[in-house]
Amino acid sequence: MQSTFNRWIITSALILSAAFLTNGIVLVLCGYNPIQAYATGITGAFGTAHGLGETLVKSIPFLMTGLSVAIAFRCGIWNIGAEGQFLIGALAATWFGTKAAYLLPNIPWIAIPLCMTIAILGGGIWGAIPGILKITRGVNEVISTIMLNYVALYLVSAMVDGGPLQEISRTGPQSDPIAKWVFLPRIFPSSRIHIGILIAILLAIILTFVLFRTSFGYQIRAVGEGTSAAEASGISITLNTLRVFFISGALAGIGGAIELMALAPQLTTTFSPGYGYTAIAVALLAKLHPLVTIASSLLFGALTMGSYAMQLNIGISNKVTWMMQAIILLFVIGSSSFKLFTKRE
Amino acid sequence: MDLLEEIIASTLRGATPLLLAALGEVISQRAGVINIGIEGMMLIGAFFGLVASYYAAELIFFAPWIGLFVAGLSGLITAGIFVVFAIKLRGDQVVIGTAITLLALGLTEVLYQRIFGGTGTPHNIPYFQKIDLPLLSQIPFLGNTLFSHNIIVFFTFLLVPCIYYYLYHTQQGLRVRACGEHPKAISTVGSNVSLIRTICILFAGTMAGIGGGYLSLADVPIFTPNMTAGRGFIALAIVIFGKWHPVKACAAALLFGLGFALDARFQAFGWNVQYQWFLMLPFVLCLIVMSGFVGRSEAPLALGKPYDPSE
Repeated sequence: MQSTFNRWIITSALILSAAFLTNGIVLVLCGYNPIQAYATGITGAFGTAHGLGETLVKSIPFLMTGLSVAIAFRCGIWNIGAEGQFLIGALAATWFGTKAAYLLPNIPWIAIPLCMTIAILGGGIWGAIPGILKITRGVNEVISTIMLNYVALYLVSAMVDGGPLQEISRTGPQSDPIAKWVFLPRIFPSSRIHIGILIAILLAIILTFVLFRTSFGYQIRAVGEGTSAAEASGISITLNTLRVFFISGALAGIGGAIELMALAPQLTTTFSPGYGYTAIAVALLAKLHPLVTIASSLLFGALTMGSYAMQLNIGISNKVTWMMQAIILLFVIGSSSFKLFTKRE
Repeated sequence: MDLLEEIIASTLRGATPLLLAALGEVISQRAGVINIGIEGMMLIGAFFGLVASYYAAELIFFAPWIGLFVAGLSGLITAGIFVVFAIKLRGDQVVIGTAITLLALGLTEVLYQRIFGGTGTPHNIPYFQKIDLPLLSQIPFLGNTLFSHNIIVFFTFLLVPCIYYYLYHTQQGLRVRACGEHPKAISTVGSNVSLIRTICILFAGTMAGIGGGYLSLADVPIFTPNMTAGRGFIALAIVIFGKWHPVKACAAALLFGLGFALDARFQAFGWNVQYQWFLMLPFVLCLIVMSGFVGRSEAPLALGKPYDPSE
């Protein structure tokens, strides 16, 4: 275990160095000074207490969607749909927070868990659709989850831009803020760090336990390692696949709900800057291990925070973070260690 | 021009970029490579195509051609990255495709901000304008609908029979298809699977790049961040809907082109329907089509599986 962990640290350090170097070269070609850019980014992400807090806050959606992708990939399910599931979770939470919550007493410890449950159902069902299509109609989940991402994106837009969830004043493409008693409480008075981070870390621990210490987790991994072998040992592929599709979607859905309930307070048409796609890089860098995903999501939170600082101070588009994520992802694929997880039927 | 003519004409124009990308993807998937990076390759093509035409603007007539060439070239280079990771390192094709798309989104937006700043792309960039084919465009109805377009539209539809002929009636086409079905078998008889797949991916990248170049250079010269808006992914669905066959893919592309054409018309009619439902339509259509018409085990047998010659 110790040596596996050490090897992971060394591999990751190499991947990151190579990625930073490559990204730096691209920045030079684009006409920017990479050293200045990185210095600004690092200062922005870690230099101040505020920056550090924001890095933590920004890593939460990466952790939730990263967990969603990790468990799906473990089961050999190529769920590219965390983006859509994240949005549907947020949409469900918005409906609850702006409509249903007013029918309930304003007691947070009733409203918050209920709101989460709605988001779990929303994300889970959205995640289960490609599962059902795969099982009953043989539809490749890579394509169907991508399509569902766009359907979710336009569904959110339809709801908050001219639809039933748009703010009462109808001024902008956004919903009303959710009710105060659905807000996720913050941990420190001076920072935006909220209890969502504790929920996410707790879920990462639970998932680790389930994956490696329960028979359900064993079945998931067996299906992921090779469908025929799992089937031969009597594991139901249909049932496990469907369950994991649901769980994967539910995790992303919780992520969307947390983001909305803690930070946004209202849903907009540009609610997610592609968390669900980045999540693939987050999960693969963590070698699909839920606990390690905590560490890799911190890295992506820092990258995001750093890119904001770069935009503000140097004028580089903050979308530079997508470029960086893509390069990290490519190097993760390039590193041979990743091969352990590419088995599939 | 009456409404029906207009809808048919804009169906063809809307189908063209989808068809360009889909034809490339048919070849690549037939060779066993699923390339979901075509979304990114299209975006790259759209951006660099427009930029090239912008810098070559003094050459007036040639500028859009240079733009289209650069669009294809940039798609080809991006596909080169795909080749390195998918063929050389035998990584997972779905993940590499996602990475390529992310890379394209980031790179084009960083450069867009660098070159055009907050003002957007200028309007005076040379582009492909509509041309009326001599005589043919005089035919009533058909002239307006089929023979009055920018030149890329004509070339794209002419490519369909060419690719059909290549895939089904040439020795090389047979090898390509064998690569996607039984790479080991074709390897035993002396073909180089990795090489064939490499060429097919590069071809798909070039076609996606040209498709992107069409988006930014045909009829209106414009680039906006993420302007492909999922068209590369729709092209993937077209390939599946078209059962990996170029002619059927052409029919599928026309269907989706019709979807885009109706979108625009319905919005113009001022129907009391939110515009988002129309934007959603092609993606829902993809899902319905995939679950209704595409049976199991239709895909090339070795699709998505990295090929290891030493196995």
